[in-house]
Amino acid sequence: MDFLFNLLVSGLVVGGVYGLIAMGFAVIYRATGMLNFAQGELMMLAAYIAYALATWMPAGPQGPDAGALWLVVPGTLAAAMVAAVLLEALFIRPMAGESMFAKVMVTIALAVMIRAGIVLAWGNEPQLMPRLLGNALIRLGPVALYTPQVVVLLALALTSAATWALFARSRAGLAMRATANDESAALLMGIDVRRVYTLAWALAALYAGLAGLACAFLFSVDPTVYSLGLRSFPATILGGLDSVLGGALGGLVIGVLENLAGGYLGRGMKDIVGFLLIIVVLMVKPYGLFGTRRIERV
Amino acid sequence: MRSGTFKQSYAELVALSDNPVKWAWCALALAAALALPALANSYVLGLATTIAVTAIAVLGLNLLTGVAGQLSLGHAGFLALGAYTQAILGTDHGWPALPALAAAGMVAALSSLAVGIPSLRLKGLYLALTTLGFSVIVSYLLVMFEGITRGPSGMPVPPLMPLVSGLDHGRSVYLLALLLLVAFVLATLNLMRSKIGRAWAALHEHDIAASAMGINLTAYKLLAFVVSAFYAGVAGGLLALQTRYVNVDTFGVLLSVEALAMVIVGGIGRVTGALLGTAFLVGLPELIRLGFGGTGSWFDTLFANHAHEVKELLYGAVILLFLRLEPEGLAGIWRKAKRFWVLWPLSK
Repeated sequence: MDFLFNLLVSGLVVGGVYGLIAMGFAVIYRATGMLNFAQGELMMLAAYIAYALATWMPAGPQGPDAGALWLVVPGTLAAAMVAAVLLEALFIRPMAGESMFAKVMVTIALAVMIRAGIVLAWGNEPQLMPRLLGNALIRLGPVALYTPQVVVLLALALTSAATWALFARSRAGLAMRATANDESAALLMGIDVRRVYTLAWALAALYAGLAGLACAFLFSVDPTVYSLGLRSFPATILGGLDSVLGGALGGLVIGVLENLAGGYLGRGMKDIVGFLLIIVVLMVKPYGLFGTRRIERV
Repeated sequence: MRSGTFKQSYAELVALSDNPVKWAWCALALAAALALPALANSYVLGLATTIAVTAIAVLGLNLLTGVAGQLSLGHAGFLALGAYTQAILGTDHGWPALPALAAAGMVAALSSLAVGIPSLRLKGLYLALTTLGFSVIVSYLLVMFEGITRGPSGMPVPPLMPLVSGLDHGRSVYLLALLLLVAFVLATLNLMRSKIGRAWAALHEHDIAASAMGINLTAYKLLAFVVSAFYAGVAGGLLALQTRYVNVDTFGVLLSVEALAMVIVGGIGRVTGALLGTAFLVGLPELIRLGFGGTGSWFDTLFANHAHEVKELLYGAVILLFLRLEPEGLAGIWRKAKRFWVLWPLSK
């Protein structure tokens, strides 16, 4: 039983990272109707920025201390958001009015370039991230968790709540929902659609930044980190491409499922169980669990 | 000056070429390509083989994504299946290369049903992600069935019997790839001007409108997948024959992106585009290496240590530039240049 519980909980932790990435996919899809394939690379960039900031800080007498977090966390999030807003302004906005295929290919090209740029800047070797969050073991009954893992779960919960509040209660969230619903009608109602797009990208970068931080503290900072982005596609699809909170839930489900498959069916299964699941889910529900069914007029 | 390009009948409109001069140029290009093995060294010949092999896969992807409008991010999966079929049948079952090549195409085509059928209800991005999932699953299966595929260590591929006696292996593979490329180009052109091609084009424009016009969406979507996967499977088999070794790592997501880049750079939905785009993107890294290399500069070391990353940056930049500046791709540039000289001095 302990094995099962530990698999479940560590699955939730990985799922938390997937969920954060999936929320980033969904928030951009909601506002702009396209999928940002560079989301995983944005997260990778955030992880490397976090590493750069953490190693740049002078270490205390007992090695790097938790005080550095006050620089690393806001610094990483801000840098990720600036990067995303720049990418949107320089590469995505000029493509307005082009086909979906063209826009998606632009993000794929950006993804490939960011990945290559990071490897050129930091090299191929894994980087050692200072353990700023400590490595204390917290025991909850049969389950043992490291501090960073608890922090990631808390971060996902807080982010989900804040996201819900943003979309349900705030003016900006209302404007985003209106833009997603009908761009021209939103324009006519006096919503600055361009600002909504910028906001969506900044928000997505915020999620990517959180995911990158989580990744830097939980796993390692190395050039294969972007594959987490690849593996959160199933989470996004499961929740429905345009459902932000659905993405968070989808992330948790996929994370747990991957861990269970890895634990009981063999290691390799871990990598594909998410994709197998969505092929089945999409056959039953083509728009995911919480995605909006699109009704088309011809 | 050429003028009066009007059509009087439907047959003229769908004819392969409206001008006999075009046939002459094509024959000339083909003759030059056939003469290449006699003239070129093995480096140039290898490059030409790569272009011919890749062009077959890109033609297939162009049919699916450019003509029928179904975005696929999983073509590397079909290539991998083709290459491994060639390797397994050749090495472990003693099949001659040519029947194995046909089988490679068939296996990929059959496997496309596995992704095509679940995808029938999907479109756009949901479909793109499913195809991506397919290629991930394929590479996992190839590693898992170690008994058949030898897992992560890869597989050797037996050589091709010389097509004409006295021809070495590289030249035989080149000639085979060239012949197949010509066959596939003709097949593609004929598919595109037939009922099937028109149905795909309608599907591309608007699938619901197409089905209202009486086009069977299920059949034509699946057909697009099967045909495209067959091209990719054959290309995969040829790739295995060319490199004489297959490894699952070759067929990552980047390969699918490369193929899409070739489609975009060449010109989406055009046969000449697929050929030009492939030649351009295969040749570009080599040209840059020749242009900047050998000077002992920092560029040399960069290229030596990070060839993969430099290539990635290059592909990304080329995709961005073409999508922004010339969405019609090289084929579009070629068409505009031709029109300029045809109408000269009245062109603007």
